[in-house]
Amino acid sequence: MKTVVLRGLLFLLLMVGLFLFPGCAGDQVVNDQGSTETGSLLFTANGEEFIREGFICKDGWELSFDHAYVTLTSISAFQTDPPFDTEMGWEFENLVQVQVDLAGVHTVDLAAPDADPALVGEVAGVPAGRYNTLYWELILAPIGPAEGFVVLLVGTAEKDGEIINFSVGLDREVAILGGEYVGDERKGILQAGGSAEVEMTFHFDHLFGDYDEDPADEINLEALGFGPLAALAVNGTLEVSLSDLETMLSKDDFALLVAVMTHLAHVGEGHTLAVFLD
Amino acid sequence: MNNLMHKNILLNCISMICVLSMLLLPLSAIAHGVDITAVPINAVEIYALFDSGQPMAGGQVTIYAPDEPLDPWLTGICDEEGRFIFVPDYSRPGMWEIKVRLAGHGDLIRLEVTAAEESVVSEAGRLSFLQKIIMALVVVWGAVGTALYFSRRDG
Repeated sequence: MKTVVLRGLLFLLLMVGLFLFPGCAGDQVVNDQGSTETGSLLFTANGEEFIREGFICKDGWELSFDHAYVTLTSISAFQTDPPFDTEMGWEFENLVQVQVDLAGVHTVDLAAPDADPALVGEVAGVPAGRYNTLYWELILAPIGPAEGFVVLLVGTAEKDGEIINFSVGLDREVAILGGEYVGDERKGILQAGGSAEVEMTFHFDHLFGDYDEDPADEINLEALGFGPLAALAVNGTLEVSLSDLETMLSKDDFALLVAVMTHLAHVGEGHTLAVFLD
Repeated sequence: MNNLMHKNILLNCISMICVLSMLLLPLSAIAHGVDITAVPINAVEIYALFDSGQPMAGGQVTIYAPDEPLDPWLTGICDEEGRFIFVPDYSRPGMWEIKVRLAGHGDLIRLEVTAAEESVVSEAGRLSFLQKIIMALVVVWGAVGTALYFSRRDG
């Protein structure tokens, strides 16, 4: 009988053990770092439909763009662990697992019909994995049509029959740091033998506002619009730089314009950190 | 004495059948063809707000499982308060990604899901079929043990 009771106790212990520890096996660990496989990384820039197709800004001016030049340099994509988030601030070097640099200075026209997005450059043979951090600088173009500007917008504005041909250049250099791309699709995820994009995105509705949005929406409250610039046009022409505008615009409007330069750049829809280099 | 022993065994068997019935029958009621089961689960609640504090009402939610980052695991829409609730697949532990977008603005956050949370779900929720079987076996063994104990005393 003792044997029966002993066996019963052992059985009970076994059952209790099975009952209490159901999840000991089968844990899955996903690690996308440390891959020795390679692929190609495409660095792109995008002004979105606002630039390629034009739009009506917050004060009713209909804008179309012949050119929207941006000049980019010191472009690097990183795989970081943990994934970088702008809330972490600028100190991200200790998170970096992989760094890929795109050498050179690149002036890109975001208004070109095929700039959806515009290819800035490609680096082949880079480690596969998730490129979740992107750094770049907007610098004064050393040569070419946008020489002397980090951003140069050339186009036409029209409202109530009035037409203004404009050329507006921004001439302060900015460093930008962003996290993973946020948008319709996923970008920056490079699989072995394949290719992936990392995108420097520019939201020009932050500069001019968007007529389709509520006037009280943040996007419009923080945008300059085109009205203050239109007031400076002479005989239907406006050709100004940021430096010129410091004395031509009201203090508040100029402050608004300077502030826009630090939230013009995105990674898709993901916000970035930005700081002036001067 | 034999009659007493048989009564004990009979009582034990009836008790065992009652317990088994309670354990194995589903906890639901049948009325006019409706079957409602309430199960506590470990869900994730998201609140999406613009920087201004305004809720992202109608924001598009896309959720990616850790082992399949290119293809959405679930999509949905935030309510008027910018809220969205989902239950991750706890059999796929790792870093889950949650993206919310609205009117050209968006963000992506990450949430670590561990297998331990799955066991919490089991404990807080209903018993699994395996657990019911194990409990039934334990009860059966208790009944048999009791019968053997009394049969020894009777002998």
